[in-house]
Amino acid sequence: MAAIDVQDLRKTFKVQKNRGGLKGAFVDLFKREYSEVTAVKDISFQIPEGEICGYIGENGAGKSTTIKMLTGILVPTSGRLTVGGYVPYEEREKFVRNIGVVFGQRSQLWWDIGVIESFELLRKVYRVGEADYKKRLDELVERLELQELLNRPVRKLSLGQRMRCELVAALLHNPSIVFLDEPTIGLDIVVKSEIRSFLKDMNREHGTTILLTTHDLQDIEALCSRVIMLDDGRIIYDGGLDELKQRWGTGREVAFQFGTATKLDRLEHLTAGMPVKWTAENNLAATVWIPLELNVSDVLGRVVGQADITDIKIIETNTDDIVRSIYQSGSANVAEEAVPAPSREGAGHV
Amino acid sequence: MYHLGLLSEYLKNYMKTRLTYRADFWVEVLSDLLFQVTNLIFIFVIFMHTNSLVGWSQSEVVFVYGFFMVPWGVFACFVNMWNFSERYIVKGEMDRILTRPAHNLFQIFLENVDPPSLIGSFIGLFIMAVSGFNMGLPFEWWTIPALIVLTISASAIYMGIYTTLTALSFYSDAPTGIIPLMYNIQSYGRYPVTMYNRAIQVLLTWILPFAFVGVYPAGLFLQREEMTRMALLTPVMGAIFVSIGLFVWNRGVRKYKGAGS
Repeated sequence: MAAIDVQDLRKTFKVQKNRGGLKGAFVDLFKREYSEVTAVKDISFQIPEGEICGYIGENGAGKSTTIKMLTGILVPTSGRLTVGGYVPYEEREKFVRNIGVVFGQRSQLWWDIGVIESFELLRKVYRVGEADYKKRLDELVERLELQELLNRPVRKLSLGQRMRCELVAALLHNPSIVFLDEPTIGLDIVVKSEIRSFLKDMNREHGTTILLTTHDLQDIEALCSRVIMLDDGRIIYDGGLDELKQRWGTGREVAFQFGTATKLDRLEHLTAGMPVKWTAENNLAATVWIPLELNVSDVLGRVVGQADITDIKIIETNTDDIVRSIYQSGSANVAEEAVPAPSREGAGHV
Repeated sequence: MYHLGLLSEYLKNYMKTRLTYRADFWVEVLSDLLFQVTNLIFIFVIFMHTNSLVGWSQSEVVFVYGFFMVPWGVFACFVNMWNFSERYIVKGEMDRILTRPAHNLFQIFLENVDPPSLIGSFIGLFIMAVSGFNMGLPFEWWTIPALIVLTISASAIYMGIYTTLTALSFYSDAPTGIIPLMYNIQSYGRYPVTMYNRAIQVLLTWILPFAFVGVYPAGLFLQREEMTRMALLTPVMGAIFVSIGLFVWNRGVRKYKGAGS
């Protein structure tokens, strides 16, 4: 059974249009105009139990709106969704006992009281038994190294410390589905990687289903077997990260350092007949761009031995670049390419 | 049981945080008291000019005021929604509330408990006792049970009205100024309603039933025959208004739009 099942989910907000100027404000007082903004446009996806899925997209693409519908905060305008066997907004109180939610930009903890008191309060709210709570808390505290923080008030914690406490707070009741909305926002690299490895372990040990949104693609690379990419309320990509790289990555680059001055046209001559592109930074350094369908070794074979090479560096396509180019490109074209199932993609290559 | 347990947990935490800001606590208590004293002085000033207000003596009006303070204190302690719109809607804290397994309105009540308000209730009881003793009111076996039932019912009326009004912030983008207005209207309920014109009497009895949080129930203890029936109706009104409040609230939550990203 899928942990999360979403069918044609749509959310429309009614937004009040404000007229400009003082006169406009007066007119607004009597006659309001509303415009409808559709934040999420009929999306469908399933996430099986135990999967870590990344949910990415530009600001305003509809990520948070989706997460809020999945967690029962917002009521969808239309479409069906079930999460962990419940319709989130209908049986909210029963449903949330089985999920954990972390909003990176908002605190779940009580600001003025000690961390441990916040946890104690959450234990009561979630009706976790004393023994279970102790076991779970010990496990989490040890894993995230919170021992010295437990008695400090939340307002005196650093962001990294707070975020680790937020994770514990969201996981005390051992939820089977966890939603993380930008869990690594604003954190330093050490805390980020700590949180990533923690999430990964949790997924492996408890089989927790995780859906996370992020702007940091390293989160995705480290954690997710699957990515759902959203643009303007529509899913433009749903699949593995490697596949994403393959499909959108245009090629690889190889940078050469030469011992003696090597002219660009000589290099071009060496790889004549190959669809590669050379650029020279100076006489001693040049870069070649190699499309995906060509083997890097074929190109290297032509160059190595013919030129006096001191260093070679192969530059893999960076996910950041890929995602940036997807965000920037006309999403309509991309969407057409992205939606078809893998089987049709195979046919396309013939 | 679950809910009572949570209440005591939240109260404990309230005490822990509040006792660290002791000065704040006493300032709040003091300003509350000053406000009540001004109201009482106002009553005394009126009775310096007349001996009776539509057939009510000074002691009776003071007694009604004393009763009025009791449910008001209870309500203000447990149902404190003055900053709901800014805190939960504009800042989006409602998100957090909605992802926890207790009824959302109950959680909001818990997060805003304000025990100092209860001091007002005790002063109200004291005023009732003193003015009741001065008038030689009988103390019957049912006095205490009736006081408890009527206090709970009157608090329920407040809760129903304010929950309904607060729920409006789910529908409108901008917070409305209707709550301060309500605040003013409710103070009419602590004077004998018969002194107002017919329209206001109807308003205070059936539409915004603030007469049920002051003069009607107090009339029961003052042995005012004409009010006894109304006093007994207080629990019914409480139940009706709480139901309306919860209904509007639950509908409102479905309209919640969230804030920010």
